Amino acid sequence: MGASGGPRLSGMQKQVLSLYRGFLRAARSKSAEDRLKIESIVSAEFRRNSKQVDRKNFLYVEYLLRLGKKQLNQLKSPDTIGLSSLDISVSETKSPKP
Amino acid sequence: MALRAAVLRHVRVPVQTLTRTGTKSRPWGPNCGSIRFLSSHDDHLTKEEVIDRVLSVVKSFPKIDPSKVTPNVHFQNDLGLDSLDNVEIVMALEEEFKLEIPDKEADKIDSCNLAIEYIYNHPMAG
Repeated sequence: MGASGGPRLSGMQKQVLSLYRGFLRAARSKSAEDRLKIESIVSAEFRRNSKQVDRKNFLYVEYLLRLGKKQLNQLKSPDTIGLSSLDISVSETKSPKP
Repeated sequence: MALRAAVLRHVRVPVQTLTRTGTKSRPWGPNCGSIRFLSSHDDHLTKEEVIDRVLSVVKSFPKIDPSKVTPNVHFQNDLGLDSLDNVEIVMALEEEFKLEIPDKEADKIDSCNLAIEYIYNHPMAG
């Protein structure tokens, strides 16, 4: 137990985890409600890809990493309050205040 | 007498509104579990306190069976978590102890023991 017996991480895996961490950090700067939404979308997206994407498909993982970094930069902007995922319509329109 | 009462009422009103708005605008978000005021630097956390708080953070993680959590458990080997869960736990510990753990360190923290050691030795842990 005490021995650090976890799986050794490849460089690419570290990048993925670092990106995930970046998203969770960015989510902290949003309102509590938005934060929960962002966290659940991000977590679902990473888990989905971790199951579906072949870990040897380096080109595709690189592509996803680039895409994720771009989305993360957008999320970091204070004007961005939420995320919407690509395929499923989590996107919602805020009802305009009268 | 009537004058005195009127003056008292007049004096009291602004004070009351002041305190009321004061408490209302406290910036604690609804999701910060425990309210802790800015702690002084003198009292560094004791080891027992670090252990207690690390374990309670880990136990509150939804995917974990709290009865399995001891100071010696390894997150992925013993608790059946994956590397993404591991990231989430370390992030939760960051928030609990008001730290920012750099990626390089965070990747190494994969057990309660290592988390306790890291936090206990961190000068800014609060």
